[in-house]
Amino acid sequence: MPFNFTKFDPNKQGWEDAEFPIVCETCLGDNPYMRMTKETHGKECKICTRPFTVFRWMPGSGMRFKKTEICQTCAKMKNVCQTCVLDLEYGKCLPVQVRDAALDIKDSTPNLAINKQYQAQNMDGKFEAGQSMIDYGRADSAGRETLRKLARNAPYYRRNRAHICSFYLKGECTRGDECPYRHEVPDNELSNQNIKDRYQGNNDPVAAKLMTKGRGGSTNLTPPEDKNITTLFLTGVEEDVTEDDVRDYFYAFGEIKSVIMVHKSRCAFVNFASRSAAEAAADKASFDPVRIKDHLIRVAWGRPRPVGPKGETAKNKAAGTGTQAMGPPPPPGSEAAANIKYPSQDPTMQGAVQ
Amino acid sequence: MPKIRTQRTKRPPEGFEEIEPMLEEFAKKMRDVENEPHEGKRIVQSLWPVFRLHHQRSRYIYDLYYKRQAISKDVYDYCLKQGYADANLIAKWKKPGYEKLCCLRCIQPKDTNFGTTCICRVPRAKLEEDRVVECVHCGCRGCSSGD
Repeated sequence: MPFNFTKFDPNKQGWEDAEFPIVCETCLGDNPYMRMTKETHGKECKICTRPFTVFRWMPGSGMRFKKTEICQTCAKMKNVCQTCVLDLEYGKCLPVQVRDAALDIKDSTPNLAINKQYQAQNMDGKFEAGQSMIDYGRADSAGRETLRKLARNAPYYRRNRAHICSFYLKGECTRGDECPYRHEVPDNELSNQNIKDRYQGNNDPVAAKLMTKGRGGSTNLTPPEDKNITTLFLTGVEEDVTEDDVRDYFYAFGEIKSVIMVHKSRCAFVNFASRSAAEAAADKASFDPVRIKDHLIRVAWGRPRPVGPKGETAKNKAAGTGTQAMGPPPPPGSEAAANIKYPSQDPTMQGAVQ
Repeated sequence: MPKIRTQRTKRPPEGFEEIEPMLEEFAKKMRDVENEPHEGKRIVQSLWPVFRLHHQRSRYIYDLYYKRQAISKDVYDYCLKQGYADANLIAKWKKPGYEKLCCLRCIQPKDTNFGTTCICRVPRAKLEEDRVVECVHCGCRGCSSGD
């Protein structure tokens, strides 16, 4: 009798039996008419190795079938999607490591296998529907800002594609055209990912890439080819950052020819007298994050555009003044017609991108 | 156990000797296919030639009787009884829309997750991808009557 009580087995009663998966929108795919299979106790959770309900669906035509990989308890503990183990709140594609670093959440999940199972078993009862362990309100609002900026805007369906054909990598794929796996060469750095590492927030290559990208602009602030550019383009310039603040910060690198502030679009231009001064400033910016009046300023190279007095006034005032300054367009056929007819033809007037 | 001739079994009917060499060839091919090595193939792929030959053999007898009327009803019934042709498969071929059905597994909804038929039953016009489809049951590349 003791070994076989399937319905009354106390261990089995604790096993998960869910009705619907906790899954992010990107994993679900673009098709609103999707069919999903459900298998109670189909597989064991990749993190806590307890049996859980496996849901399997196709996230759009041409994609591989996705299924839930971790159990609902583990997903709720970190508030992540059951399939991709990425954060559920912030738009798309935020790894656990990035979110925890920004919101400063300490990892309290145990590492040893048996402890994981124990904690999962105990936590199971405590979660009510829709609740998660991560308290987003308590976190620092600056952290939330950074997360919002780091998250993607549109769903990233490329990660739902089929896996890479391992036979193809060895040159042995005999299936040829009908092979459902991808015949491509993988990007080496990001391909050795481990679900346990990603879940706990250690050692995640995607998170590392995202964090270096978010920190004060790109790490490789390479000088542009055109040697005449001596302008740095600053973003994140808030209302209270004045021209003097900017000058104070950047005068150390060399003589500043001019500083143009555009508070309306939260940006500024620092025009150096010499190219070497500009490069020195850019180098400094790529090593330490630039902070003016306690705001994080992103630094990038300016576009090759003469920032003359005409451009200054156009940028400082609203774009409407630029159009008012033009008279009626000259009649066609005259010389002036070949030149600029409308303000938008002159890139300096309205800040058009070259 | 059919196909074993002893002194007790009835003699095959009149026209059977004419088709017998062809049936003998099918039997030989089937034995070859059964003994093929499995190296480099998927697990399901080893079974595909078996289904293909079965279809071909049944098709041969179906054509002889229904299309060309080259054998008598007695010979046809004898073939079905002895297991040279699949009566159930031929029954499907008589229905509109199933004239080129590959095998009986592909129309069995209990074999699929969502109770549908196999992908080889989808006409190529509707498939919209021009990707090559080899169905997992019998390796069929499209058996709808339109294709």
